[in-house]
Amino acid sequence: MNGFRVLILGLDCLDPGLVEAFLDDLPVLQELIKRGEFRRLRSVDPPITVPAWMCAFTGKDPGELGVYGFRNRADHSYEGFRISTSAAFRAPAIWDELGRMGLRSIVVGVPGTYPPKPVKGLLVSGFLTPSTETTYTFPPSLKRRIREIVGEYIIDVREFRTEDKARVIQEVHRMTERRFDFMATLLVEEEWDFAVVVEMGPDRIHHALWAHHDPTHPKHDPQSPYRDAIRDYYRYLDTRIGKLLEAVPSRTQIVVMSDHGIQPMYGGIAVNEWLIREGYLALKEYPTEPVPIRDLIERELVDWSRTVAWGEGGYYGRIFLNVRGREPQGTVSPDEYNVVRRELARKLEALTDEEGKPLGTRVLFPEEIYREVSGIPPDLIVYFGDLRWRSIGTVGRGVIHWHENDTGPDDANHAPHGVFIASPALAGRDLSLPEVHGLILGCFR
Amino acid sequence: MGSDRVTLKIPRPLYERLKRVIEGTGFRSVNEFVVHVLRDLVAETGDEASLTPEEIRVIRERLRKLGYL
Repeated sequence: MNGFRVLILGLDCLDPGLVEAFLDDLPVLQELIKRGEFRRLRSVDPPITVPAWMCAFTGKDPGELGVYGFRNRADHSYEGFRISTSAAFRAPAIWDELGRMGLRSIVVGVPGTYPPKPVKGLLVSGFLTPSTETTYTFPPSLKRRIREIVGEYIIDVREFRTEDKARVIQEVHRMTERRFDFMATLLVEEEWDFAVVVEMGPDRIHHALWAHHDPTHPKHDPQSPYRDAIRDYYRYLDTRIGKLLEAVPSRTQIVVMSDHGIQPMYGGIAVNEWLIREGYLALKEYPTEPVPIRDLIERELVDWSRTVAWGEGGYYGRIFLNVRGREPQGTVSPDEYNVVRRELARKLEALTDEEGKPLGTRVLFPEEIYREVSGIPPDLIVYFGDLRWRSIGTVGRGVIHWHENDTGPDDANHAPHGVFIASPALAGRDLSLPEVHGLILGCFR
Repeated sequence: MGSDRVTLKIPRPLYERLKRVIEGTGFRSVNEFVVHVLRDLVAETGDEASLTPEEIRVIRERLRKLGYL
């Protein structure tokens, strides 16, 4: 291939609006855009790290992959949830297909690649790798080399939902520094045709510091010492990208992309409290303190014989119907399935905030948004306030609107558009995440 | 036919190098050494790609703390 290569810098959650707003301070991205293009990249539904990145690299949507989030129903039991590991992604990724063409890849930090599968080249698994004590590389010997190059490799920040903002900022910068240093070494010392690295930093910094950054957010404090933390991190990333590109030969197609963007989040909707209030979910006894729905299910406190639907928490809501002949103690007859689902959707879309203003909630049905529906999808996918509110699975506070999170401070949620910067230009138009796969493979054909 | 062993082909320079690597060790042949190393690699890589209960606990806790659950 005359030394032609493709390098993808994946920046989880890098937001097109923020890139635009900060562009004067981002000389490296500016230069890439000048020589190429800056497009909006429509994420998948749901716009969540897992499965989003693997949709980009396999060309499949979440329905085709049968992966609807970090955890998926393993079967139709109430308890059976499975974490989405590399085994959940059966479709070949770009690096698998390039390997068959005899080309070598370096794959670092892609969410959904733990435990590592063999690759023609090198692979360091991404977010959800339990720790660096595990075999998180292929080949396993790569682990030792990582230690030699950067010392303690940081897969992800320990926790961003904390009030200790100084620590989060420092940890995110350190994580990015080590990953980029390590990647630069590999790009110089290894033979490769395709390389991809995914950095979680932007996502972590957005979630941790959004209210400090956004003057329109109700929790914004104009006196905050961390007002510019997000902007400063974008600047830092820009210098790191510049440094990394020094290690890359000139005939390389560069892509800087993200899996989704970011937007303010104003609170959470306790989906199961709502289902209880509306008569869809029945408990054997209402908890005296807040308890996650998973724990209630595992402690057998849900009265399934009187339950129509239950929900899961997260950045988006998932509602499952308790269907006769499908779930162990199903109550909804298959004939009524669509009637009940539409009724629920209508009521959810009519939800208001505490002052009676409509939230603008959107409800999606899997078979209407995916090309194929594999595995066990949620029956309803719910974007509370079009993702400006999160879904809270916890029961026990007796209120539906929460402004404090059940898992710690977080004032941002995912937005449906990410970034696609290519130098030289590659797409020629705005595109969707699964299209990236074909575009990259096309470079090698 | 019906043999429980198959023949693999590897580049001769690699074979010669492996021969030197095992000189004076307990491995009597490159064949024996290669089978040993590949067994180890497969055990570490895992074709099941499954998680241990401890790993599941750690990941669930992380996902909860990060707000994904």
